[in-house]
Amino acid sequence: MKRILAAAAIVLCVCIPASAHRLDEYLQGTLISVEKDWMRAQIDLTPGVSVFPVLIADIDTNGDGAISETERHAYAGRVLRDLSISIDGHRLTPRLVSLAFPAVEEMKEGRGEIRIELDAALPRGGPDRKLVFEDRHQSRIAAYQVNCLVPQDPDIRIASQHRNYSQSFYELSYVQTGAQSAVPDFAGFTDSAMPLGALALLLSVRLALLWGGRGRAKR
Amino acid sequence: MKINRAFRPSILISLSLGAALAQTPTSRIVSAANKFLATLDDTQRQKAMFRFDDEEQRKRWSNLPVSIVPRAGLSIGELNPSQRSAAMALVASALSPRGFEKVQQIMAADETLKNTQGSGQPGGRGRGGPPQGAGPAGPPPGRGPDAARGGRGGGPPNGRGGGGLMFGSDLYYISLLGTPSEKNIWMLQFGGHHLALNITIEGERGILTPTLTGAQPALYTANGKIVRPLAGESDKAIALLSALDENQRKQAILSFRLADLVLGPGQDGKTIQPEGLKASSMTEKQRSMLLDIVSEWAGIVHESAAVARMAQLKAEIDETWFAWSGPTTVVSGNNIAAYYRIQGPHLVIEYAPQQMGGDPSLHVHTMYRDPTNDYGRKPATK
Repeated sequence: MKRILAAAAIVLCVCIPASAHRLDEYLQGTLISVEKDWMRAQIDLTPGVSVFPVLIADIDTNGDGAISETERHAYAGRVLRDLSISIDGHRLTPRLVSLAFPAVEEMKEGRGEIRIELDAALPRGGPDRKLVFEDRHQSRIAAYQVNCLVPQDPDIRIASQHRNYSQSFYELSYVQTGAQSAVPDFAGFTDSAMPLGALALLLSVRLALLWGGRGRAKR
Repeated sequence: MKINRAFRPSILISLSLGAALAQTPTSRIVSAANKFLATLDDTQRQKAMFRFDDEEQRKRWSNLPVSIVPRAGLSIGELNPSQRSAAMALVASALSPRGFEKVQQIMAADETLKNTQGSGQPGGRGRGGPPQGAGPAGPPPGRGPDAARGGRGGGPPNGRGGGGLMFGSDLYYISLLGTPSEKNIWMLQFGGHHLALNITIEGERGILTPTLTGAQPALYTANGKIVRPLAGESDKAIALLSALDENQRKQAILSFRLADLVLGPGQDGKTIQPEGLKASSMTEKQRSMLLDIVSEWAGIVHESAAVARMAQLKAEIDETWFAWSGPTTVVSGNNIAAYYRIQGPHLVIEYAPQQMGGDPSLHVHTMYRDPTNDYGRKPATK
């Protein structure tokens, strides 16, 4: 913690001349793609020169000046934990798909780009879907940019995109034709949808038992 | 020798046909490329030429200075005066006069940056121009081929010391992918800080995508005149925004900040969901203004390729979008400080002022793409 505060103090002390490269921001560009059963995202993280001390203190946790494989994955895990992704109100758990780190020197010069690719399985839903992507990673120094790629699947059509000013909040509405809403996949449901699904299942069982009872009575 | 009268007309036709063929843009470019290659020694030629399928070289471009992202090929700084002239003549042959002027002004801006960064002054108005007008300043004579080290993808020419940031018109690289040909596909690359021209030539097709332009300072003085390399891109865009009515502006102006290019280097072939105001909701005059902005990029390449490209983009104008983020006013004679994007089925243009400690209107990155045909990958239609 002391190291992070010290790094932050360095940032505050850095005077900011016009520069050829990114300086006092941590650019976090996200490209989201949606498919029928998956959402995928590519996040490119580019620390500016003057925020590099903050970042390296966060990544190089043992302070040896090198970024080990363990530190890379731990950092990617922290980035993922700072995200909040949901579909139709149900929180998703993103999975790290790939991770690429530049050399420390490259980051120090303001050109190093960390690339994180993630995906998350989407529970089945209705034709009108709403995906929310919130990013809180290094929010003090972040410059977020979130966009959606045009879907490859012709059955998916983007309806609208909404963001707050900083783009830390992004909401994507899309229409998915051929959606299989008749057969709910309870495994993918969480929170409020689960009791409703369970109730529907119990009612179905109850009706089946009643129907069976009537049949036996007739015989 | 006497020529039979009967043959005279056919000989004349052949001669005029030959002359016409010799004057096609592609033949002009091929001729300029061969002249340039003829000025090089074997080692230099080897450095300048790459296989057409060299994907690493194809994608080795950036908005960043060459000391941060090393380029490969031959730098202007390691060429002697006649080689340099031949290199610039090759670049000019592939571009329109205005396109070539823009390239020279971008290089001159970098020369200005070199001259001002050393003294700790930010580049910009009144801070002095390049030593020789708006054109690229020449390197000191006698800079030998050993000035470039590290082979392909190695560092920039030495002589600037220190390993710090290096700027200036010497640090622009030229390379050829494939063999210059009037029939077969090949590619000319030219770029450095704030410039990446990727020109694919296949027969009479000339494809300029992806191309990055930019400038820092994006406004400077040279020979007592104010130079703005991206003046058209800035002025025409604010003119269109001003021509929109209230309802159109509501659609065009995005409510969020855009800090940089979305589809910059490393984002080849990607298509994002378009946003803003669709040109089908514009008046005929506004659509014409939009096309005029597009021509600032589409018109960099030589005229016949630009005409073909503009015809394609005009046919798709109703499917083209205009989005704006940032300040909606500008002081006359200055560049806008706002981001804008123009996107169509075969087009992405981004104009992104950079908030990097200085006035964002003085440091601009722009991107020009056809996500369906970056590097001319789409086969030519017969």
